Amino acid sequence: MSNIQHFIFKNNRIDKLHHLVYPEIVVKLNKGVTMNQNDTKWKSVRMWLLWLALPLVVGILAAALVPQPVIGIIRLEDAIYSYSAQDMITQIKYASEHPEVRAVVLALDSPGGTVVDTESVYMELAKLRTKKPVVTAINGMSASGAYYLSVGTDYVYTKPTSMVGNIGVISYLPPVPFIYEEIISTGPYKLWGSTRDSDMRQADMIKEAFLSAVQLGRGERLKAPTEVVISGKIWLGNEAVSLGFADEIGTESDALDKAAELAGVANYEAADLRDLAGIVDYYYSFFIKSPQGVVMPYPVEPGMYMLFIPQLPVEK
Amino acid sequence: MKKNLIWIALAALIIPPLARGLWFYRGIPTQREIATPDYPSFAISQPPLTTPEANEKIKITGGTVLFDAGHANLYQTSEVQALQEEISKRGGRVETVADPALLEFKLKYASAYVVVSPSMPFTDAELRIVQDFVKRGGRLLVFTDATRGVLYYDWFTGMETNYADSVIANSLLSPFGITVNNDYLYNVEEHEGNYRNVYFDDFGKSELTFGIKRVALYGAHSIKSASGLTLLRGAESTLSSVDDAHDPAEGGAAISEDGNVLAFGDFTFLTSPYQNVADNATLISNIADFTLGGKQTVTLANFPYLFAQSMVQVYPTSEIKLSAETVAAISGIQQALRTVNIDVEVVSKAPRGGDALVLGTFAPSDDLAEFTDPFNIALGENEETLIIKNFGEIGRAGNGLLLFEQSKNGNTLTLLADTQEDLLSLIATVGSGSLSGCVLQDNLAVCGVGYGGDYSSTEATATEEPTSDGTTPEAEATPEPAATPAG
Repeated sequence: MSNIQHFIFKNNRIDKLHHLVYPEIVVKLNKGVTMNQNDTKWKSVRMWLLWLALPLVVGILAAALVPQPVIGIIRLEDAIYSYSAQDMITQIKYASEHPEVRAVVLALDSPGGTVVDTESVYMELAKLRTKKPVVTAINGMSASGAYYLSVGTDYVYTKPTSMVGNIGVISYLPPVPFIYEEIISTGPYKLWGSTRDSDMRQADMIKEAFLSAVQLGRGERLKAPTEVVISGKIWLGNEAVSLGFADEIGTESDALDKAAELAGVANYEAADLRDLAGIVDYYYSFFIKSPQGVVMPYPVEPGMYMLFIPQLPVEK
Repeated sequence: MKKNLIWIALAALIIPPLARGLWFYRGIPTQREIATPDYPSFAISQPPLTTPEANEKIKITGGTVLFDAGHANLYQTSEVQALQEEISKRGGRVETVADPALLEFKLKYASAYVVVSPSMPFTDAELRIVQDFVKRGGRLLVFTDATRGVLYYDWFTGMETNYADSVIANSLLSPFGITVNNDYLYNVEEHEGNYRNVYFDDFGKSELTFGIKRVALYGAHSIKSASGLTLLRGAESTLSSVDDAHDPAEGGAAISEDGNVLAFGDFTFLTSPYQNVADNATLISNIADFTLGGKQTVTLANFPYLFAQSMVQVYPTSEIKLSAETVAAISGIQQALRTVNIDVEVVSKAPRGGDALVLGTFAPSDDLAEFTDPFNIALGENEETLIIKNFGEIGRAGNGLLLFEQSKNGNTLTLLADTQEDLLSLIATVGSGSLSGCVLQDNLAVCGVGYGGDYSSTEATATEEPTSDGTTPEAEATPEPAATPAG
């Protein structure tokens, strides 16, 4: 005898609760049924329990296994260089490998950085986008290499006065080759890498690739003619939208909603992928820093950059 | 019955996760193709190089081209080497001038004065010297470059200011109607490897643009000339950085109305490897021709650079005795002329051709007449003065005359004085290489050469010399001593 049956017969009464839960049994019991008759009926109770309650419990438990979708946020509030780019790539891979991360928002406030690191992140973003949408939210600035990343996303939000654009390349030309008495090299450009002339032409070639990325990324949304695109200008967010460099004026939360919409999810959780991916902080100064702690807008190392260098020193 | 139960069980099992799924997920993600740039398809642009013709006909003209090195010029000699080599191929000689004091002297014999990217201003005196040089027919070339300038950093405000070479270049060029703009030309549509490397396909008609179809300049200021000619004109897509606009009146180079002043907004095209891009090599050759094509109108102001040939014939007329003093004086002239690579040959007959130095006195003579007649010189009524047309009357005693005549056959300088002693003094003046003690008027100079004749008698005569109205002048009163003003 089950606990319920024992309870009913022992007390010889049916309370309101039992009446509600087991109406058929209660009615029959009230008519003076015997214990043997009740056994048959109890079978049906057990059958209901087996076929309804248990699956329901299992279903509820299974429902708990359906994850809440996550919109991952990758923040770039620095220049793009080896460390920052590696961090971004780690976050992109995390988003790619974790199914609960249904879309990514790229929150940008960056003047760009080195060419190769920008390209690395751009290409990883392209891989991610084959599976999950990526939306850009431009906060303070998305200039040069940072804008290269922007055009590698599905939708671009900007603030009305964000700084957007600066499409192009900056290169520090190597010196005219010369030789040292104390340094032996095995070729005329072993010390310098390339001629000044070829460096100049390489920069222009990279600019062409940048232009191609902009045209492919923005497609028909791009309204500015080519000569405007490659002028290297920085536009305010408002202008950027009217010229087709960005899609809409909006905030980071707008970008999250848009990412969710593109991913087909709702009631999502926004999460910083830096935390999820377990990235540890690092210390590295990409820009020149004076002994007094003044950060200059010039990179520590000469090279080729997709970088916006403002005219005045930046003080921190 | 059992079938119903199965449905119920399935529903109970599925509905919770389904409801949760629908709560979160409204669509199914799809795999997409993402287009990225076709990186391997991008290649480095190659410049359109040309090989100079081996059998290029070069006219040997000779001459001296003076490069300015006295105004903190922002270039290295290697950067103008290609132009200097072309000048040398034409028999030209390249000199530099760093000392402003030597500028006037060197411009007397130079065919062209080349100023490259100056960053220190020219003084008013230097500007006058250069303008006089151009007026005489010398040629002025000014190369500026938009990539050169002095960067000034203000440590108080953090402001950086770039002082371009165009400002100083304009002080040289503006008197000739040429202006260098403080900008750079660019073309984002069609360029030579970079937007600031601009092609020019449209040319002003000039000897400088002869044989040129296309040239490329590398970071050039725009140049305009109101009265002259814009030589290199860019396409409509060539814009100025000042206003991002195209001005057909502005270009990469311009020449003045008289054709003697040439300005370029760039000199990087003179350097390797850009000297061989498009028709730049031809342009450089044309510029070399231009530098040596300047022919100054030689006047006595060019002294001592009055002679064009390597030999000067010294002709003492019949009144001149070749005494030891005279020979010594002539040797002084010989030494002076050797410093400018001219030899001297004493001849006994009047030269019929070539450069000549004629020595004579004021006394009329047949063998001197052909040299003095063009200057309309006549003796005064009392024969103690000389009347020179357009100059006036001068005393014979103590004065020497320099007469310079330029002709196709050669240049002739005639030295005349009242006596042979005065003539020796005049020769010494000429031998010193300077006419600073002379009054110059075109091709005639009057030089004080002493007192003339016997020194003691001249001195005595001078004190008793009558005035023009025939009275004896009173002795000049000695001023009374006066008290020094107080305070």
